[in-house]
Amino acid sequence: MSDAWIYGDRGSDTSARLLAELGFSPHRVAANGTLRPPEGESKSPALALILASGLEHPSCAELCARLAADEDLGEVPVLVALGSGALADGLGVAEGHELLVEPFTAEELQARIARARRAVNGIDHDDMVRVGSLEMNLATYQVAIDGRPVDFTYMEYELLKFLVTHPRRVFSREALLNRVWGYDYYGGARTVDVHVRRVRAKLGSEHAARIKTVRSVGYRWEGT
Amino acid sequence: MNGHRQFVLRTVEERGVKFIRLWFIDVLGLLKSISIPVSELDSALEEGVGLDGSSLEGASRLREHDVIAHPDPRTFQVLPWRPDSLVARMFCDVRQPDGEPFGGDSRAALRRVLDHASGLGYTMQVGCEVEFFIFGPLGKNGSKPQTLDDGAYFDLTPLDVGSDFRRRTIEYLEQMGIPVKASHHEVAPSQHEIQLAHTDALSMADAVSTFRIAVKEAAHELSAYATFMPKPLEDHPGSGMHLHISLFEGDRNAFHDTEPDVPLSPLGRSFLAGVLAHACELSAVTNQWINSYRRLATGFEAPANVSWTRRGASALVRVPSRRPGRADGTRFELRSPDPACNPYLVLALILASGLRGIERGYELQAESVDDAAEGRRLPLDLREATDLFEASELVRETLGDRLVDAYVANKRRETEDERRTVTEFDRSRYLRLL
Repeated sequence: MSDAWIYGDRGSDTSARLLAELGFSPHRVAANGTLRPPEGESKSPALALILASGLEHPSCAELCARLAADEDLGEVPVLVALGSGALADGLGVAEGHELLVEPFTAEELQARIARARRAVNGIDHDDMVRVGSLEMNLATYQVAIDGRPVDFTYMEYELLKFLVTHPRRVFSREALLNRVWGYDYYGGARTVDVHVRRVRAKLGSEHAARIKTVRSVGYRWEGT
Repeated sequence: MNGHRQFVLRTVEERGVKFIRLWFIDVLGLLKSISIPVSELDSALEEGVGLDGSSLEGASRLREHDVIAHPDPRTFQVLPWRPDSLVARMFCDVRQPDGEPFGGDSRAALRRVLDHASGLGYTMQVGCEVEFFIFGPLGKNGSKPQTLDDGAYFDLTPLDVGSDFRRRTIEYLEQMGIPVKASHHEVAPSQHEIQLAHTDALSMADAVSTFRIAVKEAAHELSAYATFMPKPLEDHPGSGMHLHISLFEGDRNAFHDTEPDVPLSPLGRSFLAGVLAHACELSAVTNQWINSYRRLATGFEAPANVSWTRRGASALVRVPSRRPGRADGTRFELRSPDPACNPYLVLALILASGLRGIERGYELQAESVDDAAEGRRLPLDLREATDLFEASELVRETLGDRLVDAYVANKRRETEDERRTVTEFDRSRYLRLL
């Protein structure tokens, strides 16, 4: 189950309950300025929800800036929930990837989460990532181009998924090894090059060029 | 490993795969397969599939032995041919019932050497040029094959009717994650070469195994027959499988020397010295069939002596000239192997020889300047090669007794079978004369 981290120290459990209804595993993060929940097992959650009306130190803007700068949390979709009167004073309105005004329903939360995920890593509400004629279904591990299935091996799929859901950022071979492989392999850092070549070959001419080689740095996905 | 299994199970379900072929490798490098229905997949991934271990021992089986084939979900791949009924494959690691690797599994032997290298901080990268022939449908056993064209080196259509075939093969290979660097018509009629892009040694050995079946499938679809037999036509060059070898320490090519005119680093020279020192012991795997020695016997740039060069075309090893700024490309090319070898054993032994060269600080012999026959002579036939292989301490240490004994038994049997055979050569030379 995907984790959702909740920032803000009000007693209300409504947002946690709604997240649980949507299939997330909610974890509350203490309001003392830490970025991670005490029991946090995963390195990064599927999303972060900031309850802005209860926040003073740090402010919502500070918190968002720190999340964005964090190595593991930089690409987590951030939703900011404002109290009903907060729109007028404008605080927190420009923060995060998506905005909610309390009270909100599970349906609205779901729609906002989908929009935030789409904004950050191109993942649609149905777990689909679409780039031109390329479709990746993250729920079923299937990739199709022009509606025709393309068969990847697991590691090829994982590499493509990582690049596609982290568009426009350059990743070094080392970073890709750590974040995509993260276990024993025989190829050393060259493994990344070899897999990129395989993925490009399977993607075909229209999409292969979206994986840009950044000379003496690494690779970057262009397209979403 | 959970992610891998989830991926395999979901893909099978989503794509409507009907059967899974579990591939394993016998001692001769021939691909063996058991097919399981999708309903058995979960338990195959969990517990493996039982089989008789002597099925890995080629034509000369030592004894029955229960082993378990464990599919490696990292190698799961839907097969691109016959798209009407979807079939996928996984390579298997073969283990004993107690979970220990099975001594007769070539893949396990290669893994062992790779683990050793990786403990020393090294990974070997391998590129590969595979030559082969495609002929018309085969006639009765032993008859001469029909060539399909009179094309020649790098010829283009319309002479080269094989280009359709090559295009289809390359599509298959790319769909299976085996990137192709280049392909062209080779020197002999009906002969082709496809170059596989470099990768780690285990992936390359798997790729060569996959390659051979993909090529045969593509030929079959065009009513032709593809063969990796090293020397099918007397008057034309045989098929080789040149291997491009380099060694990396992390990100850095350990063969590369910063001095512009030095072809290999000191470590690279020791590695190559190791490969050359053991080349004769390795002949029985780089050239494992009686027919392999007919390719080596007739020149056409096939190597006959243990030598290395930067320029010549027929030395055992060529060290390609470096392109400026391309440190990653520093490598040597071993020219003896043929495409009918067991790539797992060949790569395991090349790496083991090279590592020994490094560990013991072997000195590299002088470069051979022209194509003169310098250096020790390579074994002339399979019998001589098998004797050297069997007696080699490096071979036994690397592959283990079970593999070596099974291999030698197969090779002894092959040479004995040939010794008893009255051939075309006997009849044409002796029937009238004597």
